[in-house]
Amino acid sequence: MENFKEMIANRHKYAEDWKKRTGGMVLVYNQPYMPEEIAYAGGMLPLRMLPEQKPDVISAKWLYGCCYPVKNMINQVLSGDYDYMDVYVYVEDCQWVWNFHELITDLKPGLLNHFMFFCDHPTAPTSKYVMRSEMQVFKNKVEEWTGKEITNEALDHAIELYNTNRRLLRRIYELRKVYDMVILGSEMMHIMIANQVMDKAEMNGILEKLIAELEEREPFEDRIRLMLVGSELFNAELEEIVESLGAHVVADETDYGSSYFWNDLVPQKDRLLAIALRYLEKPRSAMKDSNWRHRLQHIFEMTEDFMVDGVLIGKQLVCQPHGSDNYAIWKLLRERAIPFHFFERDTTLPIDETSVRIEAFLDMIRPGITRVRGWNQPLVI
Amino acid sequence: MARVNGQIWETRPLEFWDRAKELRAGWEQSAESKEKIVGQGHGAWAGAFPAITIIEDNPRGSTIAAKDMPFARTARLASEVRGWGRELCGYHGVLWGCQFLGQNPDGTPFNNRKLVVPMPATCDQHTKRGIQCRDFEPVPQWQGDATVYVGENDFDREVEMVNHRVYNELKMINDIERIFGQKFDEDAMREIVGLYSKVAEYRAEIFMMQMNTPAPLSAKDLYSFYTLGGRLTIDPVELEKFWKLVRDEIRWRVDNKIAAVGTERFRFLEAHPPQYSFLKYYRYLEQYGAVCVGSQYTNFTAAVYERKPNGEVAQRETNPPRRQIGIEEFKTREDLFRRTPELNIRGPGGFKSDENHRPYALNEFADMYHCDGAFFWVWRCGVGCTMTRKEQAIRLRRAGYSVLTYEGSAPGDPTDLDEKRFLEQLDAWMETNNLVKYEN
Repeated sequence: MENFKEMIANRHKYAEDWKKRTGGMVLVYNQPYMPEEIAYAGGMLPLRMLPEQKPDVISAKWLYGCCYPVKNMINQVLSGDYDYMDVYVYVEDCQWVWNFHELITDLKPGLLNHFMFFCDHPTAPTSKYVMRSEMQVFKNKVEEWTGKEITNEALDHAIELYNTNRRLLRRIYELRKVYDMVILGSEMMHIMIANQVMDKAEMNGILEKLIAELEEREPFEDRIRLMLVGSELFNAELEEIVESLGAHVVADETDYGSSYFWNDLVPQKDRLLAIALRYLEKPRSAMKDSNWRHRLQHIFEMTEDFMVDGVLIGKQLVCQPHGSDNYAIWKLLRERAIPFHFFERDTTLPIDETSVRIEAFLDMIRPGITRVRGWNQPLVI
Repeated sequence: MARVNGQIWETRPLEFWDRAKELRAGWEQSAESKEKIVGQGHGAWAGAFPAITIIEDNPRGSTIAAKDMPFARTARLASEVRGWGRELCGYHGVLWGCQFLGQNPDGTPFNNRKLVVPMPATCDQHTKRGIQCRDFEPVPQWQGDATVYVGENDFDREVEMVNHRVYNELKMINDIERIFGQKFDEDAMREIVGLYSKVAEYRAEIFMMQMNTPAPLSAKDLYSFYTLGGRLTIDPVELEKFWKLVRDEIRWRVDNKIAAVGTERFRFLEAHPPQYSFLKYYRYLEQYGAVCVGSQYTNFTAAVYERKPNGEVAQRETNPPRRQIGIEEFKTREDLFRRTPELNIRGPGGFKSDENHRPYALNEFADMYHCDGAFFWVWRCGVGCTMTRKEQAIRLRRAGYSVLTYEGSAPGDPTDLDEKRFLEQLDAWMETNNLVKYEN
């Protein structure tokens, strides 16, 4: 199997080499609704920013109270990790990242950037047209940056490439829908994250080769099957802890995980409308799950499809959107008697503490003693 | 450096004060209405239905937190144990904690909301506000959108944004008619729109006059009534009368140099909500001759001002009106709901978007309001109240303003407010500006 962990670690060098090789521009983004197809069709390399904890003497000066991923990002950008970045695009979602966008565009005045609106009410009939118009604005912007027109042929190629990428990832991801799974949760998370910092044309070849390898692989033993729900994960530390404790992570509902590739883009004559529809219909981020609760149904379906024994809900500290959703998610899981364990984290994960908590949770799941009854009784404090 | 010129201005109590208190008390009572359908949300449209009252959670939550801290703690805990994030807006934790507990602070049953309209906003917390009602029990919900974009005016883009916002509003109105069997009175709505337009004019004028020296109002005054007609939806006729009363009195105070603080010699701005249970710190600072002239949060809710190239201060026109017609010419329901988005399609009020797109907006505010310093609460909870605050402090300091920050939990959560330490910090801030307390 390719070393996806290494790809993640070497992502900055990869981007720099790609620039030298192609002479193209690197577009960096963070939020989940970025229509990469348009940037790719314009000859750019869209890469997702991965927050990473490093010695930090920068973020505290500029930010207060915000989440650690954003602190890490500002530290990385201002300390030079992303100096190869030509463009930063913020697709409107979480406000802390909006703060990040505002800050780096102020502190790095030469950086090309774009703000893209994204509907908080994605299911209104009018949302499709709003987002279609945003796609048009973004396409114009990419053409302005690169000085090249984006043709329909280029868009079709990008759409096909990205759809292939999604299908390949789903093919690997679904290997965990059954017992006798041949890929670990940590491996899958590494693949999913590496996929977001690589050129899709190159990645698709790697994934095809991987699928052939996996078909020959001996299955892992069956263990307790967990699902991850919650704020972004930028590495596979949590999966590795779960695996070290004798359980599997078989599914996730996270923006950097399965939500990235869950739905295809259905091609149509109006390419920009097709792209808008794909992003409006993708699994919701917590921020955009405002009109009714789409996440709940999606989470529940995944617990059934992937035969989940329990759910780990990890929330980044001071993550407002997930903090607002957890009441509904806890309620859903309790109503359906699905054991869950909630914990808060930042971009680092204390291994001992997390291990103890997860081990206790697994000990409760094994004999089926998780207490889910009584959740709807009046609260006495 | 603060001005120390020994000037003493006349000061008088605000004559509209009692009326403001009456209106506020009336609004508080409306949350407990048994005659009307009480919903969570915002907006004046509810006044065009015969029996619907819309209540916002923020003012209710902050009132409870200020009046009954032990109960507010219990309520917040009731929210947190159900999964509601402990670092979220304190108002919400308190009010929806009452819902979970099933009671108000006085022991009366909590009036469960019968419909929910989460507030379209650039603030994450506003966008998801009130959805605890829908999560708690199956009541109807309608979501809107706060469209935002940056750069040059782009009318093509705006067409879709306006259509989107109008659709969301009309869908809500039509559904409410169908679900609750009440007729939306378009003539009443036309009147409401007209009255609110007048209110906006009065408010814009008031906050322009607030730039005068001495300041006719202080933030302490503002926080007691500025939400009337905004977060606090009341009878629009009474509302228009009230704001006219305020405008007339402020105009008189400016003409006659009547000050909010007679010893004014240090003017400071704030950014977002203060600790509502401890507004007395404004009075404390008055002993130094310091007056808070407001913030974007209070002063820019009706109009956003900017300094023009010729040096004059005037309203910023983010969106030139495309239809120069009067309200009386709005014939249909759709016309009525097109009016507001057409005027502020790029963001509600503009002042919230400033934080994200105009990082030097507070420097501009400090200049226009002739400030000497700034005081920022930096809240651990509620992203919309905290984002950009530290960088704003840096920018103001670089521009020569004296800036103090104080960390706290949330405007609606006084749990960890150390009053003594806070006041000592204010003393130190004043002293660094060469200010000493006036005796009496």
